[in-house]
Amino acid sequence: MKKLTRRDFFKRSVAAGVAGGLVSTGLNQSALAATVPSQGTFYDLTKCDGCPGLPAPACVRACREENRARFPQPAGPIEPYWPKPTKEDWSDKKDLTNRLTPYNWTFVQKVTVEHQGRPVTVAVPRRCMHCDHPPCAGLCPFGVINKTPEGPVVTNQELCFGGAKCRDVCPWGIPARQAGVGIYLQIAPKYLGAGVMYKCDGCYRRISAGKQPACVAACPQGAVYSGEKQAMLAQAKARAREIGGFIYGEKENGGTAVFYVSPVPFEKIDQALLAQKAQQPNPGSPGFPGMPVTAENYLDSPNGLAGGFLVAPVAGVFAAGLAAYKTLKGGAADGGKDPGRGKQGT
Amino acid sequence: MAEKILAGENKVLRHGISGRLVHWIVALSSFVLIFSGFGQMPIYRRYGVANLPGLGWSGDYSVTLVIHYLAAMVLLFGAVYHLVFHLTRREFDLLPRRGDLRDSYLIIKAMVTKGTPPPSDKYLAEQRLAYAFIAFNLLALIITGILKVLKNLPGIWYTETTLVWVTGLHNLATFLLVFGIIGHLAAFLFKENRPLLPGIFTGKVSLDYVRERHSLWLDRLISR
Repeated sequence: MKKLTRRDFFKRSVAAGVAGGLVSTGLNQSALAATVPSQGTFYDLTKCDGCPGLPAPACVRACREENRARFPQPAGPIEPYWPKPTKEDWSDKKDLTNRLTPYNWTFVQKVTVEHQGRPVTVAVPRRCMHCDHPPCAGLCPFGVINKTPEGPVVTNQELCFGGAKCRDVCPWGIPARQAGVGIYLQIAPKYLGAGVMYKCDGCYRRISAGKQPACVAACPQGAVYSGEKQAMLAQAKARAREIGGFIYGEKENGGTAVFYVSPVPFEKIDQALLAQKAQQPNPGSPGFPGMPVTAENYLDSPNGLAGGFLVAPVAGVFAAGLAAYKTLKGGAADGGKDPGRGKQGT
Repeated sequence: MAEKILAGENKVLRHGISGRLVHWIVALSSFVLIFSGFGQMPIYRRYGVANLPGLGWSGDYSVTLVIHYLAAMVLLFGAVYHLVFHLTRREFDLLPRRGDLRDSYLIIKAMVTKGTPPPSDKYLAEQRLAYAFIAFNLLALIITGILKVLKNLPGIWYTETTLVWVTGLHNLATFLLVFGIIGHLAAFLFKENRPLLPGIFTGKVSLDYVRERHSLWLDRLISR
């Protein structure tokens, strides 16, 4: 048997380590399309009334109760985002229930719009839409947002740096940032990182255990349904046909897992929401989303270019093959005649 | 490569057109990729780069991401061209050899102490090591980058662990590449290395320099 040299041992160890690492981290399962039926939600806006008379809608209270243990708990003074003087700190506004914050992952918007000559009031529960192709998950620079096979889009709060890119690329600006918490505190908190992003995770743990999301279970009007996504879409379509209404969430951002059916067009709801937002103390602030019916996916443009990644190597092979052929044949493509070169070096 | 002694000019042709073309395609696309890649983090707006004249676009992910994709295609073209061209011609001068670490130490020591370096072949030992380091990182970036492009396509999702690993390795290789490029450029702080500079622009280096420092290569060129 050939004696194992130190060099061989090192080579084999590295190879085994890399192979073992890849297997154990699941790279061998890469690029699998989700095959598990996704879950979805259907909001029947003809039934939701926003729970008038309650301090906060039942779904909002249930969500807060369900997720309270995961809310951010910043300790100590929170530094601004150097070199800017600003920071996003909601820790003294934990009780807000009329917008999205790191402490409030769903809320209900209420607008009155004119439709067919009469005013119609619509209450719209809002939270993450759990998109089919979420740009937040695709574009997170640290890869810590995941589209789960079960449907929910889930942020890993342990690894999030709070850069808020997910919010910038979300057509609804859903994720909310809290400073003073998260992994960035372990590195250079004054100069790098900004906190952690918080949003609805579709009650991932509950639905994985076969339960309904907390907000669905809590709705006193039976206005919100959850279940297999295609069934929810079918139910939404049937309801829309029944009332001559409109659907939101089926096509927006390339498709989502949350479907709304409204008796009035969503263009009108969107306009009314934008008008409401403009009246807020800080109109530019996120956390009060509209309902744009033309919400396009941030990834559409780069994905349209992706074919170039097939063309580029093929072009490289042809160009190099041609150039090498010409020079080996003694052509001038590489600066002069150089026939019959052999292997050099090692 | 069309390397040969140009006795009339007192120079040696060190890099052919293909070699120089690939170097600059890879270099320029890498710079664009590094800038647009850092732009995938929310830093240009925070630290004021996007406020600099003419750089307003740098804070817009939709712009920097498209630039990143296009530059990645150029890099991929250059990398494939490089591999196919030199594999076809069976040219492996830049691959590290046994003893390169020791020779690199001796060459750098000679530069610092003004001593006599060991004779070199076409490339200095540390150039071969630098090539391997930069090429390895570029390969890691290309592979993880392609995995990231696939992940952005509709219907393709990785496990949470895979996603963190692919992204983390892409980010790590970026930082290593930046260090590699800094090291590559820092080599020219040494006066002894500067005669190599014209080679990457015109393809030619001084014959006197080759005689003094790359005697192994010169011997090969003469004996051909």
